[in-house]
Amino acid sequence: MSIRLRTCMAVFAGALSLLLAGCGSFQVNPPLARYDPSSGYRFEKLEPGSNSDKLFVILVFSGGGTRAAALSYGVLEALRDTQIQWENRRISLLDEVDVISSISGGSFPAAYYALYGLRIFDEFPNRFLYRSIQSELIDSTLTPAGLLKLGGASFGRSDLAAEFYDREVFGAGTYAEVIARARRPFVILNATDMTTGTQFPFTQDQFDLLCSDLSGISLGRAAAASSAYPGGLTPLTFQNYAGKCGYHQPEWVDLAVRDHKSRINIRRAARAENRLSYTDTEHNPRKYIHLTDGGVADNIGLREPLTAINSLNNSWSVLRLINQKKVDKLVVIVVNAGTNPTTRRDQTPEVPGLVDTLTAAAVVPLGNYSFDTLELLRQTVNEFNESMRLVSGCKELAANKGPRCELDIPVPHQIEFFPIEVAFEYIEAADERNWFKNLPTTLELPRGTVDKLRKVGQQILNEDPEFKRLMEALHGCIALAGQRC
Amino acid sequence: MEFVIVSYPTRRQVYVDGDLTGYTNEVLQMDPGTHKFTLGPPEDCDPVFCEVMVKGTTVLLPMKIAFIRKW
Repeated sequence: MSIRLRTCMAVFAGALSLLLAGCGSFQVNPPLARYDPSSGYRFEKLEPGSNSDKLFVILVFSGGGTRAAALSYGVLEALRDTQIQWENRRISLLDEVDVISSISGGSFPAAYYALYGLRIFDEFPNRFLYRSIQSELIDSTLTPAGLLKLGGASFGRSDLAAEFYDREVFGAGTYAEVIARARRPFVILNATDMTTGTQFPFTQDQFDLLCSDLSGISLGRAAAASSAYPGGLTPLTFQNYAGKCGYHQPEWVDLAVRDHKSRINIRRAARAENRLSYTDTEHNPRKYIHLTDGGVADNIGLREPLTAINSLNNSWSVLRLINQKKVDKLVVIVVNAGTNPTTRRDQTPEVPGLVDTLTAAAVVPLGNYSFDTLELLRQTVNEFNESMRLVSGCKELAANKGPRCELDIPVPHQIEFFPIEVAFEYIEAADERNWFKNLPTTLELPRGTVDKLRKVGQQILNEDPEFKRLMEALHGCIALAGQRC
Repeated sequence: MEFVIVSYPTRRQVYVDGDLTGYTNEVLQMDPGTHKFTLGPPEDCDPVFCEVMVKGTTVLLPMKIAFIRKW
């Protein structure tokens, strides 16, 4: 071989290795040295401060891009401006929020509030809502550096988006900073495990399964996983170190798995088996977990809170708090930015095209599932109320037979339940309602549209009958027309 | 929803599946299925724990799980 040819090959090999080195690889989530249930991002580790458990408030932010982010932000503004009388203090209702569960677009205000608290009201509109995030993401993809990174097989468009959110939206904030704040609300950003199709909440309880330390993960990466809209954005990869930190499953998991055959509580058994899928290091070890948009599993973000309300076997079980008589009033505010775009499909005899059909196949089941999720919330409320109606009915019947027949029935701790829903379908004026229901799912909307969403979020909340009932119970003052109480 | 009363001569903490859930002699609400019941310290109760399949209860007819004092 000539010296010239050898020199050429050496230069080529050098250039190739430089190119490969430049290709991106996913940001590896840190391992957990030792499982420690007393540390990390957990509900019970957050100081309630002056936030009382007696009034337990859960916010749920649905998916829907900037539309969902703006609507949720509007509700946060409304809660900040709503004054209540509680335990001899005049406070903002926002101060009483205990948990926020979010999906996709709703995860941006949720994550920002977790990281920066009240600063959200000064910073978030310009940092996120009014920006053309989608165009900026595309621009950052089309740079030489972006294209080079995307050459890596373990680096996708969502990894690039996570870097962008870290840099441009969340100031590189990590869960370590959220833990350091040590304050409620407990904010749960939800993604979907692509393999199991189940919800994957960003909490230490979930990351314990992977023997990974959530504190080293950025909010930008969590929000990117939660909003990795299939097709447009790629799933995000997380390394699974299961079996290396001394983790053991909670007691209920084994009991629930043993119940599987009896079918007594299939939902609980499925949750247990899902947990075991991460920690199985022998039969079918999952070395990497691929997370996609939280909306694939539940576009409302309500499933995790419903489990907490209905089950003792949840890391932040509200039912446990109810049994301990710590909760008197339970408020669940669902901010649902779901739409129902008008279609001309039914105006023509033409066979719908492939894109239209595939879009319907992807979107319609999500909508139906969201409907069922909201129905589950109503059923839960009914179940709580039903048992009390039964007891009081029996007592009344017995008392009518005379004082000797009075019954002394022991009852569980009673709570008042306030299910509140902020959704476009509750806008009274048909034109206005249709306008909102036809807004696209995108990460950029005109400033005027964002402002309308913020305003309508406050308006629908204030008009919700259950919210009005709550205000009566709490001697609340609802701020109107941008004025504070 | 299922309803359970864990009875004991005195007021004690009740742990269900390893988590503090409430107190003895009160109605506790839980999801159906097999649950493990233990009482808070001191360890002077019999049995030490019990695993029970909880199902088919109503608020009017809660399941009763009895612990007795050992000494």
